[in-house]
Amino acid sequence: MTEVDLEELMENLAQCRRCGICRDAVYEKMGFDGVCPVWKNTAGFETSFMRGRIQVAIALIEGRLEKTEENAESLYTCTLCGSCTSICAAEFDPAKCLESVRQVLNEIPNETRDTIAKKIIENNNPYVDENKTRRNWVKEVGFDIPSTGEVLYFTGCTAGLKLPETAISTAKVLKAAGVDFAVLEDEPCCGSVMIRTGMVVEAKENAEKALDMILKSGAKKILVTCAGCLKTLREDFRERFGLDMPEVLHVVEYLQSLITSGKLKLKKSDKTQKITWHDPCHLGRALGVYEEPREVIKAIPGLELVEMNTNKEAAMCCGAGGGLRSYDSGLAKKIAADRIRDAEDTGAEILATACPFCEHNLKDGAASIESNIKVVDILDLLAQRLE
Amino acid sequence: MDHSVVQKLTAIVGEEFISTRKDVLLTYSASASTSYDPVIPGAVVKPADTQEVSEILKIANEHKILVTPRAGGSSLQGEVIPKKDGLVIDLLRLTEIKVYQDLRSVTVGSGINFGNLDKFLNQYDLWLPVYPGSSLSATVVGNVAVNGSGFGSPKYGCIAELVLGLEVVLPNGEIIQTGSEANPNAPGPFLRYAFGPDLTGLFIGSLGVFGIITKVSLKIFKRMHHFDYNTYGFETPQEAEKFILQCKENEISATWISIYEGRILDFFLEMVGEEYGVPQHEWPPFTVSMVIGRVREDQLVSDSKAAKEICEQAGGHVIGIVELPREEWNDRMREFVRSSYIHGWHWRILYHHQTLSQWHRTLEEMWPIFDEFGVLGHTAGFQSGHSSYNYYPQIYYDPQDEEDEGKAKAAHKELAKRLFKTGAVPFKLAPYWVDGITEMEPYLEFLKGFRKAIDPNNIMSPSAIPRIEGEGE
Amino acid sequence: MKKKVIDDISRIVGDEFISTRPDVLLTYTQSASMASDPIMPGAVVRPANKEQVCEILKIAGENKIPVTPRSGGSSLQEEVIPEPDGLVVELMRLKEITLHKELRSVTVGAGVTFGELEKYLKEHDLLLPVYPESALVCTVAGNVSVNGAGPGSSLYGCIGELVLGIEVVLPDGTIITTGSEANPNASGPYQRYSFGPDITGLFIGSLGSFGIITKVSMKVYKRYKFYDYNTYGFETHEQSEHFMVDIKQHDINGIFTSLYEGPVLELFMDMIGEELGIPAHEWPFSTVSMTIGSVREDLMKSDAKLAKKLCVKNGGHVIGISQLPKQEWNGRLWFFVRACYVHGWHWRTLYHHQTPTNAHQSVEVIRKAMDKYGFLGHTAGFVSGHSSFNAYPHLYFDPQDPEDEQKIRDAHKELAKALFKTGAVPFKMAEYWSDAIEGMDSYMALLELVKKTIDSQKIMSPRKLGGI
Ligand SMILES: Cc1cc2nc3c(=O)[nH]c(=O)nc-3n(C[C@H](O)[C@H](O)[C@H](O)COP(=O)(O)OP(=O)(O)OC[C@H]3O[C@@H](n4cnc5c(N)ncnc54)[C@H](O)[C@@H]3O)c2cc1C
Ligand SMILES: Cc1cc2nc3c(=O)[nH]c(=O)nc-3n(C[C@H](O)[C@H](O)[C@H](O)COP(=O)(O)OP(=O)(O)OC[C@H]3O[C@@H](n4cnc5c(N)ncnc54)[C@H](O)[C@@H]3O)c2cc1C
Ligand code: SF4
Ligand code: SF4
Repeated sequence: MTEVDLEELMENLAQCRRCGICRDAVYEKMGFDGVCPVWKNTAGFETSFMRGRIQVAIALIEGRLEKTEENAESLYTCTLCGSCTSICAAEFDPAKCLESVRQVLNEIPNETRDTIAKKIIENNNPYVDENKTRRNWVKEVGFDIPSTGEVLYFTGCTAGLKLPETAISTAKVLKAAGVDFAVLEDEPCCGSVMIRTGMVVEAKENAEKALDMILKSGAKKILVTCAGCLKTLREDFRERFGLDMPEVLHVVEYLQSLITSGKLKLKKSDKTQKITWHDPCHLGRALGVYEEPREVIKAIPGLELVEMNTNKEAAMCCGAGGGLRSYDSGLAKKIAADRIRDAEDTGAEILATACPFCEHNLKDGAASIESNIKVVDILDLLAQRLE
Repeated sequence: MDHSVVQKLTAIVGEEFISTRKDVLLTYSASASTSYDPVIPGAVVKPADTQEVSEILKIANEHKILVTPRAGGSSLQGEVIPKKDGLVIDLLRLTEIKVYQDLRSVTVGSGINFGNLDKFLNQYDLWLPVYPGSSLSATVVGNVAVNGSGFGSPKYGCIAELVLGLEVVLPNGEIIQTGSEANPNAPGPFLRYAFGPDLTGLFIGSLGVFGIITKVSLKIFKRMHHFDYNTYGFETPQEAEKFILQCKENEISATWISIYEGRILDFFLEMVGEEYGVPQHEWPPFTVSMVIGRVREDQLVSDSKAAKEICEQAGGHVIGIVELPREEWNDRMREFVRSSYIHGWHWRILYHHQTLSQWHRTLEEMWPIFDEFGVLGHTAGFQSGHSSYNYYPQIYYDPQDEEDEGKAKAAHKELAKRLFKTGAVPFKLAPYWVDGITEMEPYLEFLKGFRKAIDPNNIMSPSAIPRIEGEGE
Repeated sequence: MKKKVIDDISRIVGDEFISTRPDVLLTYTQSASMASDPIMPGAVVRPANKEQVCEILKIAGENKIPVTPRSGGSSLQEEVIPEPDGLVVELMRLKEITLHKELRSVTVGAGVTFGELEKYLKEHDLLLPVYPESALVCTVAGNVSVNGAGPGSSLYGCIGELVLGIEVVLPDGTIITTGSEANPNASGPYQRYSFGPDITGLFIGSLGSFGIITKVSMKVYKRYKFYDYNTYGFETHEQSEHFMVDIKQHDINGIFTSLYEGPVLELFMDMIGEELGIPAHEWPFSTVSMTIGSVREDLMKSDAKLAKKLCVKNGGHVIGISQLPKQEWNGRLWFFVRACYVHGWHWRTLYHHQTPTNAHQSVEVIRKAMDKYGFLGHTAGFVSGHSSFNAYPHLYFDPQDPEDEQKIRDAHKELAKALFKTGAVPFKMAEYWSDAIEGMDSYMALLELVKKTIDSQKIMSPRKLGGI
């Protein structure tokens, strides 16, 4: 269903009673210590959190506010992290609605959005012209990886092109666990960012192409290391585009059983390091995967897991999602820096996550405040500790 | 006073209730405030009801006659001393009482004193649980006008906290009802904070400068019948302060808490100890005299036990002499008067609130000043609400020795200044505070603005609250 | 708004913290108030401290620009809807909290919400024992400005009773502090009634009409450790109402005592009973749901026992379902918001106080209005102090049906009149009360005089408080 049912959307938006709880609620019982990362890290006008965004959205749709790029800004300065949805007492999903609003209003000019979509359609990724380079990392793992097979490791654009260490680590870990897996030759983009920014027609076109390539590889199971890819492939492909996908799992979900079954052996360690876990929004709030990564971390010798002030349903976002990193990279970094401070407050030396997109942004955030905390992907941690 | 004015006033109240006789005026030239110069007014009038008050004020306003509302005349800080040739409005004829049992409230006219009311409420097994030491002469309305406190205040705060609304006649004769009763359909007083901003508070502690209160409505409670009396000894003031703080935090329902410094207690008991049957005792450096009161016996037993535990945790010991707090409490409507007058001295008083945890600061300032000025005196006080302590230092002088009185006045003034610096606050904004008050200009300006708006002719109790009067004073 | 004014204000707060963008202004045209007409202000400014507030008000005064102070924006009765082309001064950046432990008090900046304060105080084993049901969004200063109430009020009264003093910037830019802190040497807030007349009260419930509150000082208490939760059933109004009075009269620490009519409770339970884990039950004619709280166990137990006795004495029976009061109290920061929004309706509320023994009158008047106008809704309420009862009727309408909305607006207006006649009083003097109020001319005249005295140019929230 690529078309938004406008009537239904308006009905949903009308569920917002403008109570404002989605701004900065501090509510221990539900784990909240603030809600909207954007409100917190900007000048903080009403447009910077969901209550205002919804009012702007309704006014734009109803034509009470002129459809200009500036007037639509608040629709895009949002990571769609879903924190507001978690605390909203009304019967609707505000973040999801905003995603639909972006789609309905996608005629409003927005250069960043259009450029990304164009690149993905043209290049199969949002970053570089030559997509084939995304498989370069395979040369570094020290063994061959086929491009067809029943288990497919879908690397994702960020791991493939920006943070190949994660991909390499994943490959090593899977190999150590005795998993035979494949990596596509000219892997496409999952199109997550297009869906999030309202370019759904383009996203659908991309999704069909992607599914085709995936199926051609003979995949029965798809493993991913990116939370965005996970949500998109597992949920959006089916729900939005009606595509029949093979099973999609994040490697942490997959690994949990491998570790408990003893298939994956890890080195002992005699020193303990404190580590904290950042829940990627698309893994946690979107899909409810909270425990698996924690179980995996706890299974790694020498690590002591400490929780950040906000975690799980109430976790603050890294700042990268919803297209914000491209739309306003300064803000995205500020939010990341804020999250880094949360992590520092726990006294942890390591901040782990399971999404290259989060990791990438958090690293930038850490650098911006000269933090010494080590931002790592959970797979890097595992790879380092393989026997 | 102009004869035509007196005639107009006579027309309102009837001849019987107005006087310009010298002997009568003389008795209105002073109050219980000792060491204040008497001032002879021009007339005294005793209205029967709100309507008459309103008409009187209209006349006074028209002729710009200076008005001093007066109730019990028991105030101690010169509040009710009239203006030369001014008009005293004696409000003791307004003696209505109305109880609202379902609303747990009572409305009293401005002539009702605490003693009257207590007797009345006792019939219903109810009470107004704050009793100023002057309960037998002070009116409830007068106490609201000065924002007093007394026995019961440790639990219930100062009288202001019990007010649910009031009826007031503004200087122009306009009659206003505040609180829930502002709604003419209301079944009675049940909420002070109704109809937007709280106008009631403006008249609490106003010393009559914004108008004449003709009625006040207050919260009342079921009378307590279960009491525990005890004394607790401490080596340092900090221990005693901590003990009280923790009693409050732990819901000990204390209706009376007083801290006595050793020497003050000795002095006090020398005067009234025997009369009250308080046994001889080597009192510790600091003694807390406390009454716990409860509606239910099991609550009392629990409180009394908890208080003892807290005392010991705070480093003190339970003295166990019950007569002191018991007599203080049982004789609460007279005890303070007795102890104030049992000796031959006159005194000046310096009512103020200190924080509970700074209880010792007042003493630290007081004794050196007494030495410096060569005056005698002491201070007593009681815990007065959420976290304050109501102090009333008394500076003695020989009423027949002018020089002595001068010394007392000077010491009094200096003490006010120094107390202000400790962070103490007055609750009656008496004139002598004003010298002590610094850096509060915007605050006083604010009050002045009201004064000017509500009473443009400056007729109400001029100089009762100094520095808030406009020009033409 | 004139560019010069904007420039001047920008210089005070920095460009970042003032906006005149149409999209931003649009989000300040409304608040949580439903069925109210949005009004476009001319600019919004977010000052960082009282000095900036002071400078801003001076400029507004010089240029006669109407000002609407705003904090959480959660008010339900149009209190924070701005003036056309006016200036909204949003105070959420004033986030300071100072605890005065030995004074049993806390001072909070105008931007501090109840949720934030709760977290802070909890670390010290303390609480501010009144929680409006919008506690996660509304500020303490905002609640003082509307004189709110909520869970905890059954014992402590409305928020006004906990105030020890405030810091306020008057319309002319003068800054004053009230209560004991008026003495600059005071170690903190410990006595509201200091320095003669109580001027603190003027700002309680003032809806921003007299100035901008930048800080409020509040009494705090040790946190309760022991609770009893129970429900009590009654067959008549008199029984349940007298039970509520008895509870207070016998010194029972009922920190939250709500009263539900049978059908209203059924409606609530249909909506959220299951979600809250409240067992199905044939609720009686009326139900009192009460949480008793105490710092000592024996006191709590004694209270609980006596409450049961008093229930029976008044002809009631102890229902024994503890989940309802438990959810009300433990979920007090969120429960009611959920209950308000779990269904799809929008609603107007008509906050008022009744006497406890008159609670049924509110119900009757509301039922009559529902019949006459044909709308859905309900009312429930809670004991809100010494002898008052805070009722919060909800009048439902379909947000996408303008006709339905108009019906509710009309019904609401009429209802305010009818409630006034029963002797009810508002605690937020919202606009619709001014039509309902009869026989209060001299009161309103005094209020007007106060307004004129403090705000001679009438720049502060000019339409509020019945437009005085
Ligand atoms: C021995 C003794 C002990 C005392 N102990 C205490 C104590 O424990 N606590 C305490 O608070 N006080 C105490 N006082 C002081 C005094 O009793 C109080 O100030 C009392 O409240 C005064 O009330 P009154 O009716 O006598 O008022 P008055 O003395 O007649 O008047 C007091 C002030 O209020 C104004 N006023 C009076 N009536 C009205 C009215 N109807 N409308 C407007 N203004 C009015 C007067 O103009 C004056 O400014 C004591 C006094 C004595 C003599
Ligand atoms: C779901 C829900 C439940 C609610 N339940 C309750 C409840 O149980 N009890 C209750 O009392 N209220 C309740 N409310 C209403 C609302 O939350 C309160 O009125 C709240 O106190 C408003 O605070 P705010 O900070 O949001 O103020 P705002 O809405 O921003 O402003 C409210 C008013 O105060 C003025 N104001 C705000 N800040 C200042 C300031 N610093 N100085 C001067 N004036 C100022 C504004 O001009 C306006 O008139 C509820 C609201 C919602 C949405
Ligand atoms: S989105 Fe939900 S939480 Fe936010 S203002 Fe609207 S109803 Fe309240
Ligand atoms: S989705 Fe996240 S960033 Fe967007 S409005 Fe909600 S809380 Fe803020």
